[in-house]
Amino acid sequence: MAGLDLAPLWLTVKLAALTVVLLFVVGLPLAWWLARTSSRWRPLVEAVTALPLVLPPVVLGFYLLLLLGAEGPLGQWWMAFTGRPLAFSFTGLVIASCLYSLPFVVQPLQTAFSQLDRRTVEAAWTLGASRFKTFFTVVLPQARSGVLTAAVLGFAHTLGEFGVALMVGGNIPGETQVVSIAIYEHVEALAYDQANAYALLLLGVSLLVLWLVYGIQRRDQGLR
Amino acid sequence: MTTLWMDVAWRRGAFALQAALRARPDEVTALLGPSGSGKSSLLRLAAGLARPDEGRIGLGEKLWLDRAAGVFVPPQRRGVGMVFQDYALFPHRSVAANVGFGVARRQRRVQVAVWLRRLGLAHLADRLPHQLSGGERQRVALARALAMEPQVLLLDEPFSAVDPRLRQALRELLAEVLAETGRPTLLVSHDLDDVRYLADTVGVMVAGRLHCLGPRAAVFDDPGTREAAEVLGWRNFLPVEGVAGCEVVGPWGRLRLPEPVPADVAWLGVRGERLRLGSPRGEGLKGRVLRITDLGAVRELSCRLDCGLMLHVRRPWDEPLPVAGSEVGIQLPLPALRPLRVKVGGRPHRPCSVVGEWQAKGR
Repeated sequence: MAGLDLAPLWLTVKLAALTVVLLFVVGLPLAWWLARTSSRWRPLVEAVTALPLVLPPVVLGFYLLLLLGAEGPLGQWWMAFTGRPLAFSFTGLVIASCLYSLPFVVQPLQTAFSQLDRRTVEAAWTLGASRFKTFFTVVLPQARSGVLTAAVLGFAHTLGEFGVALMVGGNIPGETQVVSIAIYEHVEALAYDQANAYALLLLGVSLLVLWLVYGIQRRDQGLR
Repeated sequence: MTTLWMDVAWRRGAFALQAALRARPDEVTALLGPSGSGKSSLLRLAAGLARPDEGRIGLGEKLWLDRAAGVFVPPQRRGVGMVFQDYALFPHRSVAANVGFGVARRQRRVQVAVWLRRLGLAHLADRLPHQLSGGERQRVALARALAMEPQVLLLDEPFSAVDPRLRQALRELLAEVLAETGRPTLLVSHDLDDVRYLADTVGVMVAGRLHCLGPRAAVFDDPGTREAAEVLGWRNFLPVEGVAGCEVVGPWGRLRLPEPVPADVAWLGVRGERLRLGSPRGEGLKGRVLRITDLGAVRELSCRLDCGLMLHVRRPWDEPLPVAGSEVGIQLPLPALRPLRVKVGGRPHRPCSVVGEWQAKGR
Protein backbone atom coordinates (compact mmCIF):
# COMPACT_ATOMS: atom_id res chain seq x y z
CA MET A 1 0.00 0.00 0.00
CA ALA A 2 3.04 2.21 0.07
CA GLY A 3 3.17 5.03 -2.44
CA LEU A 4 -0.59 5.23 -2.80
CA ASP A 5 -1.57 8.03 -5.17
CA LEU A 6 -3.85 10.30 -3.12
CA ALA A 7 -4.85 12.47 -6.12
CA PRO A 8 -8.09 10.55 -6.84
CA LEU A 9 -9.15 10.94 -3.21
CA TRP A 10 -8.56 14.68 -3.09
CA LEU A 11 -10.29 15.08 -6.41
CA THR A 12 -13.30 13.16 -5.14
CA VAL A 13 -13.57 15.19 -1.95
CA LYS A 14 -13.16 18.44 -3.88
CA LEU A 15 -15.85 17.36 -6.33
CA ALA A 16 -18.27 16.31 -3.59
CA ALA A 17 -17.76 19.52 -1.57
CA LEU A 18 -18.21 21.76 -4.61
CA THR A 19 -21.28 19.80 -5.68
CA VAL A 20 -22.92 20.21 -2.27
CA VAL A 21 -22.28 23.95 -2.22
CA LEU A 22 -23.73 24.40 -5.72
CA LEU A 23 -26.66 22.16 -4.92
CA PHE A 24 -27.54 24.27 -1.89
CA VAL A 25 -27.62 27.39 -4.04
CA VAL A 26 -30.09 25.69 -6.38
CA GLY A 27 -31.75 23.34 -3.91
CA LEU A 28 -32.77 25.75 -1.14
CA PRO A 29 -35.08 27.88 -3.29
CA LEU A 30 -36.27 24.85 -5.26
CA ALA A 31 -37.12 22.87 -2.11
CA TRP A 32 -38.81 25.91 -0.52
CA TRP A 33 -40.93 26.36 -3.63
CA LEU A 34 -41.81 22.66 -3.78
CA ALA A 35 -42.76 22.60 -0.10
CA ARG A 36 -45.12 25.56 -0.33
CA THR A 37 -46.53 25.82 -3.83
CA SER A 38 -49.93 24.62 -4.88
CA SER A 39 -49.02 25.00 -8.56
CA ARG A 40 -50.19 22.27 -10.90
CA TRP A 41 -46.61 22.04 -12.20
CA ARG A 42 -45.32 20.82 -8.87
CA PRO A 43 -45.72 17.07 -9.59
CA LEU A 44 -43.76 17.45 -12.83
CA VAL A 45 -40.97 19.41 -11.17
CA GLU A 46 -40.88 16.84 -8.37
CA ALA A 47 -40.67 14.01 -10.91
CA VAL A 48 -37.81 15.66 -12.79
CA THR A 49 -36.00 16.26 -9.49
CA ALA A 50 -36.43 12.61 -8.47
CA LEU A 51 -35.41 11.20 -11.86
CA PRO A 52 -31.76 10.53 -10.91
CA LEU A 53 -33.03 8.25 -8.12
CA VAL A 54 -34.51 5.74 -10.53
CA LEU A 55 -32.54 6.28 -13.73
CA PRO A 56 -29.48 4.03 -14.15
CA PRO A 57 -26.48 6.36 -13.73
CA VAL A 58 -25.21 5.22 -17.12
CA VAL A 59 -28.38 6.49 -18.80
CA LEU A 60 -28.10 9.84 -17.06
CA GLY A 61 -24.42 9.96 -17.95
CA PHE A 62 -25.15 9.14 -21.58
CA TYR A 63 -27.59 12.02 -22.02
CA LEU A 64 -25.29 14.34 -20.12
CA LEU A 65 -22.51 13.35 -22.49
CA LEU A 66 -24.73 14.25 -25.44
CA LEU A 67 -25.54 17.59 -23.79
CA LEU A 68 -22.03 18.49 -22.61
CA GLY A 69 -20.05 16.89 -25.46
CA ALA A 70 -18.31 18.77 -28.25
CA GLU A 71 -21.44 18.41 -30.43
CA GLY A 72 -23.90 19.10 -27.58
CA PRO A 73 -25.58 22.49 -27.12
CA LEU A 74 -24.04 23.17 -23.69
CA GLY A 75 -20.66 21.81 -24.77
CA GLN A 76 -20.58 24.06 -27.84
CA TRP A 77 -21.63 27.08 -25.85
CA TRP A 78 -18.94 26.40 -23.25
CA MET A 79 -16.36 25.89 -25.96
CA ALA A 80 -17.27 29.21 -27.57
CA PHE A 81 -16.94 30.97 -24.20
CA THR A 82 -13.84 29.36 -22.70
CA GLY A 83 -12.17 27.64 -25.60
CA ARG A 84 -12.15 24.36 -23.72
CA PRO A 85 -14.36 21.27 -23.94
CA LEU A 86 -16.84 20.57 -21.15
CA ALA A 87 -16.96 16.79 -21.42
CA PHE A 88 -14.03 14.95 -19.84
CA SER A 89 -13.20 18.00 -17.71
CA PHE A 90 -13.57 18.70 -14.00
CA THR A 91 -16.18 21.38 -14.71
CA GLY A 92 -18.24 18.93 -16.71
CA LEU A 93 -17.94 16.45 -13.88
CA VAL A 94 -19.24 19.03 -11.39
CA ILE A 95 -22.28 19.76 -13.57
CA ALA A 96 -22.99 16.05 -13.94
CA SER A 97 -22.59 15.43 -10.20
CA CYS A 98 -25.01 18.25 -9.40
CA LEU A 99 -27.73 16.64 -11.52
CA TYR A 100 -26.88 13.19 -10.22
CA SER A 101 -27.11 14.17 -6.54
CA LEU A 102 -29.94 16.72 -6.87
CA PRO A 103 -32.69 14.60 -5.25
CA PHE A 104 -30.44 13.74 -2.31
CA VAL A 105 -30.22 17.42 -1.43
CA VAL A 106 -33.67 18.64 -2.49
CA GLN A 107 -35.78 15.93 -0.89
CA PRO A 108 -34.54 16.21 2.72
CA LEU A 109 -34.84 19.99 2.45
CA GLN A 110 -38.35 19.76 1.03
CA THR A 111 -39.41 17.38 3.79
CA ALA A 112 -37.96 19.66 6.46
CA PHE A 113 -39.63 22.73 4.97
CA SER A 114 -43.02 21.11 4.67
CA GLN A 115 -42.92 19.90 8.27
CA LEU A 116 -42.27 23.41 9.46
CA ASP A 117 -45.10 25.22 11.24
CA ARG A 118 -46.20 27.68 8.57
CA ARG A 119 -47.54 30.05 11.15
CA THR A 120 -44.05 30.72 12.52
CA VAL A 121 -43.28 32.10 9.06
CA GLU A 122 -46.42 34.21 9.11
CA ALA A 123 -45.64 35.36 12.65
CA ALA A 124 -42.22 36.55 11.46
CA TRP A 125 -43.89 38.49 8.65
CA THR A 126 -46.32 40.23 11.01
CA LEU A 127 -43.33 41.07 13.21
CA GLY A 128 -41.82 42.95 10.28
CA ALA A 129 -39.25 40.46 9.00
CA SER A 130 -38.74 40.45 5.22
CA ARG A 131 -39.15 37.20 3.34
CA PHE A 132 -35.38 36.95 3.07
CA LYS A 133 -34.78 37.55 6.77
CA THR A 134 -37.59 35.15 7.66
CA PHE A 135 -35.98 32.42 5.57
CA PHE A 136 -32.62 32.72 7.27
CA THR A 137 -33.73 33.45 10.85
CA VAL A 138 -36.90 31.37 11.14
CA VAL A 139 -37.05 28.76 8.38
CA LEU A 140 -33.45 27.49 8.13
CA PRO A 141 -32.79 27.19 11.88
CA GLN A 142 -35.95 25.12 12.26
CA ALA A 143 -34.98 22.97 9.28
CA ARG A 144 -31.38 22.50 10.41
CA SER A 145 -31.57 18.75 10.72
CA GLY A 146 -32.93 18.58 7.16
CA VAL A 147 -30.14 20.89 6.01
CA LEU A 148 -27.56 18.64 7.62
CA THR A 149 -29.06 15.50 6.14
CA ALA A 150 -29.14 17.13 2.71
CA ALA A 151 -25.49 18.16 2.92
CA VAL A 152 -24.33 14.73 4.03
CA LEU A 153 -26.42 12.73 1.60
CA GLY A 154 -25.39 15.00 -1.26
CA PHE A 155 -21.73 14.68 -0.26
CA ALA A 156 -21.80 10.94 0.31
CA HIS A 157 -23.75 10.21 -2.84
CA THR A 158 -21.27 12.20 -4.93
CA LEU A 159 -18.39 10.32 -3.30
CA GLY A 160 -19.77 7.05 -4.55
CA GLU A 161 -20.62 8.18 -8.07
CA PHE A 162 -19.35 5.88 -10.80
CA GLY A 163 -21.52 5.52 -13.90
CA VAL A 164 -22.06 9.19 -14.51
CA ALA A 165 -18.45 10.02 -13.74
CA LEU A 166 -17.24 7.42 -16.21
CA MET A 167 -19.54 8.62 -19.00
CA VAL A 168 -19.00 12.35 -18.56
CA GLY A 169 -15.60 12.57 -16.93
CA GLY A 170 -13.78 9.56 -18.24
CA ASN A 171 -10.60 8.53 -16.54
CA ILE A 172 -8.08 11.39 -16.67
CA PRO A 173 -5.79 11.26 -13.62
CA GLY A 174 -5.82 14.52 -11.66
CA GLU A 175 -8.67 15.91 -13.74
CA THR A 176 -11.56 13.47 -13.69
CA GLN A 177 -10.27 10.25 -12.16
CA VAL A 178 -12.34 9.92 -8.98
CA VAL A 179 -11.78 7.21 -6.39
CA SER A 180 -14.45 4.82 -7.64
CA ILE A 181 -12.97 4.92 -11.13
CA ALA A 182 -9.48 4.44 -9.75
CA ILE A 183 -10.74 1.38 -7.90
CA TYR A 184 -12.33 0.01 -11.05
CA GLU A 185 -9.11 0.53 -12.98
CA HIS A 186 -6.98 -1.21 -10.36
CA VAL A 187 -9.37 -4.17 -10.22
CA GLU A 188 -9.22 -4.46 -14.01
CA ALA A 189 -5.44 -4.53 -13.74
CA LEU A 190 -5.77 -7.16 -10.95
CA ALA A 191 -4.02 -4.74 -8.55
CA TYR A 192 -6.27 -5.74 -5.64
CA ASP A 193 -4.01 -4.19 -3.00
CA GLN A 194 -4.31 -0.74 -4.56
CA ALA A 195 -8.05 -1.18 -5.09
CA ASN A 196 -8.46 -2.25 -1.48
CA ALA A 197 -6.57 0.80 -0.22
CA TYR A 198 -8.90 3.18 -2.04
CA ALA A 199 -11.97 1.17 -1.11
CA LEU A 200 -11.00 1.21 2.57
CA LEU A 201 -10.44 4.95 2.45
CA LEU A 202 -13.85 5.49 0.90
CA LEU A 203 -15.46 3.21 3.44
CA GLY A 204 -13.72 5.04 6.29
CA VAL A 205 -14.65 8.51 5.07
CA SER A 206 -18.28 7.49 4.49
CA LEU A 207 -18.62 5.90 7.91
CA LEU A 208 -17.02 8.89 9.60
CA VAL A 209 -19.33 11.37 7.89
CA LEU A 210 -22.48 9.39 8.66
CA TRP A 211 -21.39 8.89 12.26
CA LEU A 212 -20.93 12.62 12.62
CA VAL A 213 -24.41 13.29 11.24
CA TYR A 214 -26.19 10.86 13.48
CA GLY A 215 -24.25 12.23 16.43
CA ILE A 216 -25.31 15.78 15.65
CA GLN A 217 -28.89 14.72 15.04
CA ARG A 218 -28.96 12.97 18.38
CA ARG A 219 -27.76 16.07 20.15
CA ASP A 220 -30.36 18.05 18.24
CA GLN A 221 -33.19 15.83 19.35
CA GLY A 222 -31.98 16.21 22.92
CA LEU A 223 -32.53 19.94 22.54
CA ARG A 224 -36.09 19.58 21.40
CA MET B 1 -56.95 57.63 17.28
CA THR B 2 -57.23 55.33 14.28
CA THR B 3 -59.96 52.89 13.44
CA LEU B 4 -59.34 49.57 11.72
CA TRP B 5 -61.93 49.10 9.01
CA MET B 6 -62.61 46.45 6.44
CA ASP B 7 -65.25 45.59 3.89
CA VAL B 8 -64.30 42.39 2.14
CA ALA B 9 -65.52 39.39 0.21
CA TRP B 10 -63.45 36.21 0.03
CA ARG B 11 -64.36 32.89 -1.52
CA ARG B 12 -62.61 29.53 -1.24
CA GLY B 13 -64.52 26.70 -2.87
CA ALA B 14 -67.95 26.46 -1.30
CA PHE B 15 -67.08 28.83 1.54
CA ALA B 16 -67.90 32.49 1.07
CA LEU B 17 -66.88 35.16 3.53
CA GLN B 18 -68.45 38.58 3.41
CA ALA B 19 -68.13 41.13 6.13
CA ALA B 20 -67.82 44.81 6.87
CA LEU B 21 -66.61 46.00 10.23
CA ARG B 22 -64.90 48.79 12.11
CA ALA B 23 -62.76 48.25 15.19
CA ARG B 24 -62.34 51.46 17.17
CA PRO B 25 -59.02 52.27 18.84
CA ASP B 26 -60.20 52.52 22.42
CA GLU B 27 -62.12 49.26 22.31
CA VAL B 28 -61.78 45.52 22.12
CA THR B 29 -63.91 44.23 19.28
CA ALA B 30 -64.71 40.55 19.57
CA LEU B 31 -65.81 38.30 16.75
CA LEU B 32 -67.78 35.42 18.13
CA GLY B 33 -68.76 32.40 16.10
CA PRO B 34 -68.54 28.65 15.73
CA SER B 35 -65.40 27.16 14.21
CA GLY B 36 -65.43 27.40 10.45
CA SER B 37 -67.52 30.57 10.48
CA GLY B 38 -64.70 32.55 8.91
CA LYS B 39 -63.71 34.69 11.87
CA SER B 40 -60.07 33.58 11.78
CA SER B 41 -59.99 34.20 8.03
CA LEU B 42 -61.13 37.73 8.71
CA LEU B 43 -58.14 38.20 11.06
CA ARG B 44 -55.77 36.83 8.41
CA LEU B 45 -57.18 39.29 5.91
CA ALA B 46 -56.65 42.12 8.39
CA ALA B 47 -53.05 41.03 8.95
CA GLY B 48 -52.34 40.76 5.23
CA LEU B 49 -51.66 37.01 5.44
CA ALA B 50 -54.44 36.41 2.93
CA ARG B 51 -55.99 38.59 0.26
CA PRO B 52 -59.72 38.96 -0.26
CA ASP B 53 -61.23 38.61 -3.73
CA GLU B 54 -62.69 42.06 -3.44
CA GLY B 55 -62.94 44.85 -0.94
CA ARG B 56 -60.94 47.37 1.00
CA ILE B 57 -59.05 47.28 4.29
CA GLY B 58 -57.41 50.15 6.08
CA LEU B 59 -56.32 51.75 9.30
CA GLY B 60 -57.65 55.28 9.68
CA GLU B 61 -56.49 57.24 6.64
CA LYS B 62 -54.03 54.54 5.57
CA LEU B 63 -55.20 52.16 2.88
CA TRP B 64 -53.89 48.63 3.40
CA LEU B 65 -55.76 46.92 0.66
CA ASP B 66 -57.95 47.94 -2.23
CA ARG B 67 -58.58 45.17 -4.75
CA ALA B 68 -60.09 47.53 -7.31
CA ALA B 69 -57.12 49.94 -7.16
CA GLY B 70 -54.52 47.16 -6.83
CA VAL B 71 -53.27 48.34 -3.44
CA PHE B 72 -51.74 45.76 -1.12
CA VAL B 73 -49.59 46.55 1.90
CA PRO B 74 -47.74 43.35 2.96
CA PRO B 75 -47.97 42.13 6.56
CA GLN B 76 -44.43 43.37 7.26
CA ARG B 77 -45.52 46.98 6.80
CA ARG B 78 -48.92 46.90 8.52
CA GLY B 79 -47.64 46.93 12.08
CA VAL B 80 -50.13 44.36 13.30
CA GLY B 81 -49.36 42.41 16.44
CA MET B 82 -50.87 38.99 15.99
CA VAL B 83 -51.32 36.30 18.60
CA PHE B 84 -51.85 33.02 16.81
CA GLN B 85 -54.11 30.26 18.03
CA ASP B 86 -51.28 27.87 18.92
CA TYR B 87 -48.98 30.86 19.48
CA ALA B 88 -46.55 30.03 16.61
CA LEU B 89 -43.56 30.79 18.84
CA PHE B 90 -40.14 30.33 17.26
CA PRO B 91 -39.12 26.97 18.75
CA HIS B 92 -35.39 27.54 18.31
CA ARG B 93 -35.32 30.93 20.02
CA SER B 94 -35.36 31.75 23.70
CA VAL B 95 -38.29 33.54 25.28
CA ALA B 96 -36.36 36.82 25.20
CA ALA B 97 -35.41 36.32 21.53
CA ASN B 98 -39.01 35.56 20.65
CA VAL B 99 -40.24 38.69 22.38
CA GLY B 100 -37.52 40.83 20.81
CA PHE B 101 -37.96 39.52 17.27
CA GLY B 102 -40.15 42.36 16.08
CA VAL B 103 -38.34 45.15 17.92
CA ALA B 104 -35.73 47.41 16.33
CA ARG B 105 -32.24 46.52 17.55
CA ARG B 106 -31.70 49.78 19.43
CA GLN B 107 -34.80 49.42 21.60
CA ARG B 108 -34.70 45.66 21.86
CA ARG B 109 -33.14 45.23 25.29
CA VAL B 110 -35.37 47.76 26.95
CA GLN B 111 -38.58 46.62 25.26
CA VAL B 112 -37.91 42.96 25.97
CA ALA B 113 -37.20 43.67 29.63
CA VAL B 114 -40.31 45.82 29.95
CA TRP B 115 -42.66 43.26 28.42
CA LEU B 116 -41.16 40.24 30.13
CA ARG B 117 -41.67 41.97 33.45
CA ARG B 118 -45.12 43.23 32.51
CA LEU B 119 -46.34 39.71 31.73
CA GLY B 120 -44.47 38.01 34.56
CA LEU B 121 -41.97 36.23 32.31
CA ALA B 122 -38.69 37.76 33.49
CA HIS B 123 -37.53 34.55 35.18
CA LEU B 124 -38.12 32.58 31.96
CA ALA B 125 -36.13 34.82 29.60
CA ASP B 126 -33.58 32.15 28.64
CA ARG B 127 -35.96 29.22 28.30
CA LEU B 128 -36.97 27.71 24.99
CA PRO B 129 -40.70 27.55 24.16
CA HIS B 130 -40.91 23.78 24.63
CA GLN B 131 -39.78 24.20 28.22
CA LEU B 132 -42.79 26.37 29.04
CA SER B 133 -46.31 25.57 30.20
CA GLY B 134 -49.30 26.44 28.02
CA GLY B 135 -50.12 29.57 29.97
CA GLU B 136 -46.50 30.75 29.82
CA ARG B 137 -46.37 30.24 26.06
CA GLN B 138 -49.56 32.22 25.72
CA ARG B 139 -47.97 35.10 27.63
CA VAL B 140 -44.82 34.93 25.48
CA ALA B 141 -46.97 35.14 22.35
CA LEU B 142 -48.76 38.14 23.79
CA ALA B 143 -45.50 39.80 24.86
CA ARG B 144 -44.03 39.22 21.39
CA ALA B 145 -47.01 40.88 19.74
CA LEU B 146 -47.06 43.82 22.16
CA ALA B 147 -43.30 44.46 22.28
CA MET B 148 -43.33 45.59 18.64
CA GLU B 149 -45.79 48.31 19.66
CA PRO B 150 -48.30 47.38 17.01
CA GLN B 151 -50.85 49.74 15.58
CA VAL B 152 -53.47 46.99 15.75
CA LEU B 153 -53.64 43.93 17.95
CA LEU B 154 -55.17 40.75 16.52
CA LEU B 155 -55.91 37.84 18.84
CA ASP B 156 -56.92 34.51 17.33
CA GLU B 157 -58.58 32.29 19.94
CA PRO B 158 -55.94 33.38 22.45
CA PHE B 159 -57.03 31.01 25.21
CA SER B 160 -58.18 27.96 23.31
CA ALA B 161 -54.99 26.00 23.98
CA VAL B 162 -54.82 26.98 27.64
CA ASP B 163 -55.99 24.86 30.55
CA PRO B 164 -59.49 26.09 31.58
CA ARG B 165 -58.25 26.75 35.11
CA LEU B 166 -55.70 29.25 33.80
CA ARG B 167 -58.02 30.94 31.36
CA GLN B 168 -59.62 33.29 33.83
CA ALA B 169 -56.27 34.53 35.17
CA LEU B 170 -55.03 35.12 31.62
CA ARG B 171 -58.22 36.95 30.68
CA GLU B 172 -57.77 39.28 33.62
CA LEU B 173 -54.12 39.89 32.69
CA LEU B 174 -55.06 40.57 29.08
CA ALA B 175 -57.89 42.91 30.08
CA GLU B 176 -55.42 44.85 32.22
CA VAL B 177 -52.85 45.12 29.41
CA LEU B 178 -55.45 46.07 26.82
CA ALA B 179 -57.01 48.75 29.00
CA GLU B 180 -53.97 51.00 28.67
CA THR B 181 -53.44 50.76 24.93
CA GLY B 182 -55.10 53.16 22.56
CA ARG B 183 -55.10 50.78 19.62
CA PRO B 184 -57.86 48.78 18.01
CA THR B 185 -57.94 45.20 19.21
CA LEU B 186 -59.73 42.50 17.29
CA LEU B 187 -60.37 39.32 19.26
CA VAL B 188 -61.64 36.12 17.68
CA SER B 189 -63.17 33.52 19.93
CA HIS B 190 -65.88 30.93 20.25
CA ASP B 191 -65.92 31.27 24.03
CA LEU B 192 -68.68 33.47 25.48
CA ASP B 193 -66.65 34.07 28.64
CA ASP B 194 -63.74 35.56 26.65
CA VAL B 195 -66.17 38.00 25.13
CA ARG B 196 -67.94 38.85 28.39
CA TYR B 197 -64.61 39.60 30.03
CA LEU B 198 -62.75 41.41 27.32
CA ALA B 199 -64.98 42.86 24.63
CA ASP B 200 -66.63 46.24 24.39
CA THR B 201 -68.03 45.59 20.95
CA VAL B 202 -69.24 42.23 19.72
CA GLY B 203 -69.83 40.86 16.26
CA VAL B 204 -71.37 37.47 15.66
CA MET B 205 -70.20 35.51 12.64
CA VAL B 206 -72.07 32.57 11.19
CA ALA B 207 -71.17 30.81 7.94
CA GLY B 208 -69.00 33.63 6.63
CA ARG B 209 -71.43 36.43 7.45
CA LEU B 210 -71.30 39.04 10.16
CA HIS B 211 -74.78 38.79 11.66
CA CYS B 212 -74.54 41.73 13.97
CA LEU B 213 -72.02 44.14 15.37
CA GLY B 214 -72.58 46.48 18.25
CA PRO B 215 -71.99 47.20 21.93
CA ARG B 216 -71.72 43.96 23.86
CA ALA B 217 -74.78 44.48 26.05
CA ALA B 218 -76.96 45.42 23.09
CA VAL B 219 -75.86 42.41 21.01
CA PHE B 220 -76.31 40.02 23.92
CA ASP B 221 -79.77 41.51 24.51
CA ASP B 222 -80.95 41.47 20.89
CA PRO B 223 -78.91 39.36 18.47
CA GLY B 224 -81.23 40.03 15.51
CA THR B 225 -81.06 36.60 13.90
CA ARG B 226 -81.68 33.11 15.17
CA GLU B 227 -78.18 31.98 14.13
CA ALA B 228 -76.54 34.77 16.11
CA ALA B 229 -78.78 34.05 19.11
CA GLU B 230 -77.70 30.40 19.06
CA VAL B 231 -74.03 31.43 19.08
CA LEU B 232 -74.80 33.57 22.13
CA GLY B 233 -76.27 30.58 23.94
CA TRP B 234 -79.96 31.22 23.42
CA ARG B 235 -82.06 28.07 23.34
CA ASN B 236 -85.69 29.19 23.25
CA PHE B 237 -87.13 29.95 19.84
CA LEU B 238 -90.87 30.22 19.15
CA PRO B 239 -91.62 29.82 15.44
CA VAL B 240 -93.62 32.67 13.90
CA GLU B 241 -96.22 31.83 11.27
CA GLY B 242 -97.89 35.16 10.81
CA VAL B 243 -97.32 38.81 11.66
CA ALA B 244 -99.80 41.68 11.59
CA GLY B 245 -98.65 44.90 13.21
CA CYS B 246 -98.01 43.99 16.85
CA GLU B 247 -99.74 40.63 16.56
CA VAL B 248 -97.66 37.46 16.21
CA VAL B 249 -99.11 34.01 15.56
CA GLY B 250 -97.48 30.59 15.84
CA PRO B 251 -98.29 26.97 16.68
CA TRP B 252 -97.90 27.91 20.35
CA GLY B 253 -100.65 30.58 20.21
CA ARG B 254 -100.99 34.27 19.64
CA LEU B 255 -99.25 37.25 21.25
CA ARG B 256 -99.59 40.99 21.14
CA LEU B 257 -96.16 42.63 21.50
CA PRO B 258 -95.59 46.17 22.77
CA GLU B 259 -94.12 47.27 19.44
CA PRO B 260 -94.91 46.49 15.77
CA VAL B 261 -93.03 43.45 14.49
CA PRO B 262 -91.22 43.46 11.10
CA ALA B 263 -92.88 41.22 8.54
CA ASP B 264 -89.81 39.03 7.93
CA VAL B 265 -89.52 37.84 11.51
CA ALA B 266 -89.34 34.07 11.65
CA TRP B 267 -88.81 33.46 15.36
CA LEU B 268 -89.38 34.97 18.76
CA GLY B 269 -86.36 34.34 20.90
CA VAL B 270 -86.13 34.57 24.66
CA ARG B 271 -83.37 33.85 27.14
CA GLY B 272 -84.07 31.03 29.58
CA GLU B 273 -83.44 33.38 32.53
CA ARG B 274 -86.34 35.60 31.49
CA LEU B 275 -88.98 32.84 31.49
CA ARG B 276 -91.24 32.52 34.55
CA LEU B 277 -92.87 29.41 35.90
CA GLY B 278 -96.50 29.38 36.97
CA SER B 279 -99.36 27.07 37.72
CA PRO B 280 -100.49 24.81 34.86
CA ARG B 281 -103.96 26.31 35.27
CA GLY B 282 -102.76 29.93 35.12
CA GLU B 283 -101.82 32.09 32.15
CA GLY B 284 -99.07 31.26 29.63
CA LEU B 285 -97.95 28.18 27.74
CA LYS B 286 -98.76 24.72 29.10
CA GLY B 287 -96.25 21.92 29.19
CA ARG B 288 -94.48 19.21 31.16
CA VAL B 289 -91.05 19.23 32.82
CA LEU B 290 -88.83 16.62 31.13
CA ARG B 291 -85.64 17.05 33.15
CA ILE B 292 -83.86 19.44 35.45
CA THR B 293 -80.14 20.19 34.98
CA ASP B 294 -78.03 21.76 37.71
CA LEU B 295 -75.78 24.43 36.11
CA GLY B 296 -74.33 25.83 39.34
CA ALA B 297 -75.84 29.23 39.97
CA VAL B 298 -78.95 28.30 38.03
CA ARG B 299 -80.99 25.21 37.32
CA GLU B 300 -82.39 24.58 33.88
CA LEU B 301 -85.81 23.00 33.39
CA SER B 302 -86.29 21.48 29.96
CA CYS B 303 -90.04 21.50 29.26
CA ARG B 304 -92.06 20.14 26.37
CA LEU B 305 -95.04 22.29 25.54
CA ASP B 306 -98.37 20.78 24.54
CA CYS B 307 -97.74 22.01 20.98
CA GLY B 308 -94.53 19.93 20.88
CA LEU B 309 -92.05 22.80 21.25
CA MET B 310 -89.17 22.62 23.77
CA LEU B 311 -88.44 25.50 26.15
CA HIS B 312 -85.49 25.71 28.55
CA VAL B 313 -86.27 27.73 31.65
CA ARG B 314 -83.41 28.86 33.87
CA ARG B 315 -84.13 29.70 37.50
CA PRO B 316 -81.83 30.61 40.40
CA TRP B 317 -80.55 27.52 42.21
CA ASP B 318 -82.38 28.36 45.45
CA GLU B 319 -85.82 28.83 43.90
CA PRO B 320 -88.26 25.99 44.62
CA LEU B 321 -88.95 24.10 41.38
CA PRO B 322 -91.57 21.60 40.26
CA VAL B 323 -90.29 18.04 39.99
CA ALA B 324 -89.51 16.36 36.67
CA GLY B 325 -92.65 14.95 35.07
CA SER B 326 -95.04 17.51 36.56
CA GLU B 327 -97.16 19.87 34.50
CA VAL B 328 -96.23 23.55 34.47
CA GLY B 329 -97.32 26.85 33.00
CA ILE B 330 -94.62 29.03 31.44
CA GLN B 331 -95.11 32.76 31.21
CA LEU B 332 -93.54 34.73 28.39
CA PRO B 333 -92.65 38.21 29.63
CA LEU B 334 -93.44 40.37 26.58
CA PRO B 335 -90.54 42.86 26.99
CA ALA B 336 -88.06 39.94 26.95
CA LEU B 337 -89.19 38.53 23.60
CA ARG B 338 -86.89 39.35 20.70
CA PRO B 339 -88.08 39.12 17.11
CA LEU B 340 -85.42 37.19 15.14
CA ARG B 341 -84.91 36.93 11.41
CA VAL B 342 -83.71 33.73 9.80
CA LYS B 343 -80.46 35.06 8.50
CA VAL B 344 -78.70 38.03 7.06
CA GLY B 345 -79.72 38.85 3.48
CA GLY B 346 -77.62 39.63 0.39
CA ARG B 347 -74.92 42.23 0.15
CA PRO B 348 -74.84 44.81 1.64
CA HIS B 349 -75.85 42.80 4.65
CA ARG B 350 -78.79 44.04 6.64
CA PRO B 351 -77.51 45.07 10.04
CA CYS B 352 -79.46 44.23 13.13
CA SER B 353 -81.19 47.19 14.71
CA VAL B 354 -78.28 47.81 17.04
CA VAL B 355 -75.71 48.43 14.33
CA GLY B 356 -77.51 51.41 12.85
CA GLU B 357 -77.48 53.32 16.09
CA TRP B 358 -73.98 52.35 16.98
CA GLN B 359 -72.47 53.30 13.64
CA ALA B 360 -74.25 56.64 13.71
CA LYS B 361 -72.62 57.32 17.06
CA GLY B 362 -69.24 56.00 15.99
CA ARG B 363 -68.70 58.40 13.11
